[in-house]
Amino acid sequence: MYKKKETLIGYAFVAPALISFFVLVAFPFFFSIFLAFTKWNFLSGFKGIQWVGLENFKNLLEDKLFIQAIKNTFFYAITTVPVSIVISLILAYILNGKIFLRKFLRMCFFIPYISSIVALAAVFKFLFREEGPINDMLMKVNMISEPMKWLTNPSLSRVPIVLILIWSAIGFELIVYMAAIQNVPKELYEAADIDGANSFRKFWKITFPMISPTTFYLVVVRMIAAFKVFSAINIMTTGTQAKENTSMVVLIYGNAFSDYKFGYASAEAVVLFFIILAVTIVNFIGQKKWVHY
Amino acid sequence: MGKMEKQPRINRRKLVICIVKTIIISAIAILFVMPLIWMGLSALKTTNEVFAHPFKWLPAKPMWSNFKQVWCVENVNMMKSYGNSIIIVFFSTVGQIAIASLAAYAFAKIQFKGKNFVFMMFLASMMIPGQVTIIPRFMLFKSMGLYNTLWSCILPFWFSTTAIFMLRQFYIGLPNDLMEAAKIDGAGHFRIFLQVLMPLTKPAMITLVILAFIGSWNEYLSPLIFITKQEKYTVAQAIRWYLLDELQRYDLTMAAATIAIVPVIILFISCQKYFVEGIATSGVKG
Repeated sequence: MYKKKETLIGYAFVAPALISFFVLVAFPFFFSIFLAFTKWNFLSGFKGIQWVGLENFKNLLEDKLFIQAIKNTFFYAITTVPVSIVISLILAYILNGKIFLRKFLRMCFFIPYISSIVALAAVFKFLFREEGPINDMLMKVNMISEPMKWLTNPSLSRVPIVLILIWSAIGFELIVYMAAIQNVPKELYEAADIDGANSFRKFWKITFPMISPTTFYLVVVRMIAAFKVFSAINIMTTGTQAKENTSMVVLIYGNAFSDYKFGYASAEAVVLFFIILAVTIVNFIGQKKWVHY
Repeated sequence: MGKMEKQPRINRRKLVICIVKTIIISAIAILFVMPLIWMGLSALKTTNEVFAHPFKWLPAKPMWSNFKQVWCVENVNMMKSYGNSIIIVFFSTVGQIAIASLAAYAFAKIQFKGKNFVFMMFLASMMIPGQVTIIPRFMLFKSMGLYNTLWSCILPFWFSTTAIFMLRQFYIGLPNDLMEAAKIDGAGHFRIFLQVLMPLTKPAMITLVILAFIGSWNEYLSPLIFITKQEKYTVAQAIRWYLLDELQRYDLTMAAATIAIVPVIILFISCQKYFVEGIATSGVKG
């Protein structure tokens, strides 16, 4: 059925993609799974790989730091994703209505998204110092009576991390939402105007259901990104000993490249993979209830 | 008569609402850029001023020399890091789009055995985050001699399912007549691809350039793992170095951060249309 020559040419075109797929994705993925069942210090060379079966996974269950990292990662995901999406949606709705300076305002919200997150985290780390501007300002308006330990207190130091993740995510979500809202047919609003619907009602009954596929897309994409969070937390926690706030990728990175426990870190990575897979599947099942196509 | 009087009043009311909205949103927008303004101002302070308590917004005398110092005087200088980051961004973007364009053309316009299987395999791989495969990748790159080379940060971008998928959709949308006409003229697939169809995918390619640019410019995990030599540091690594190693010279850290952020903002302002369209299409189509 297929011409031989066409098949040959087809594979010639796909070859670069196929090769990079095997080298960069498929092989590393299956090797990760293999390594998860081994004990291996990279410095000992390939001969040093020891098969240990399920030992890594058994140890993970008792590893308090790992359990903490899973909890933290879920915490970051379920705080930053909904909050940033709700804020972006409200901002996008207002910015798409009648307003002055639309482009300029959109740019202001967009800037943190395109800025290097390492640079943003460096700024936050300084703003939230014990003697830094944030404490100064809060004390000036009498919201707090003594400086807060934003960076070193385990539960407090989540605040700057969550803020920075929300802050840097809104630009992307805002632009996607603004485009989606512009695609809602104008006739629907005109019909609602005739019925005398107010602005809030129009938003809730027309805009929100019409753009629900976009909301779903953003929830999935941001959730996956949230479970991979690394840069901001790596910067915010280095040098502060606040290990309690670590995320899964930060922990994997530490175990692999500071402690050289490649097998153990691979087991953690495999768990991360299944968590992301599960969260995505749950999202896809849940969408039937609220996404209108 | 009553109607004519009513009209301007409604307009005035709308105008007031519009102004109030502008003011509220502006206030939030200012809050958004405040940390960055503070960063820019701190970059101009002396070390003592940066740590002054209570803090001051403005430096007594702007220390422009801070910028000079991080740009070309310090060991880890931003000029070198910029060069490295630009090389990484350029080659990862070009490689990704070239590889994805070839594959997308084949998936859309060539009938070949096993096509659907390969395509489904690529799609399935979207579920594998790069962070999960970082350990074997480290091993692989190290044994390939790519440790401490910029290639270790470039190659991971070369396979992108998103790029392949997006371009494939675009190629499917291009009419086959164009191809048939070129075929009658005796053009083979490669010429049709290169001279006829690929130039038409410019809008999709621009979107991908924007996304790849943002992705590789901000990449931090790969350089942290693969690059340890200071002269190979990327911009993100250079900031980290100032933050952690440079004996609490926060003025310099902020100067480095400013140098990292401001050109990207200028780039964004000058190509705002493409950035916005690029991100919007990536989202709305998904």
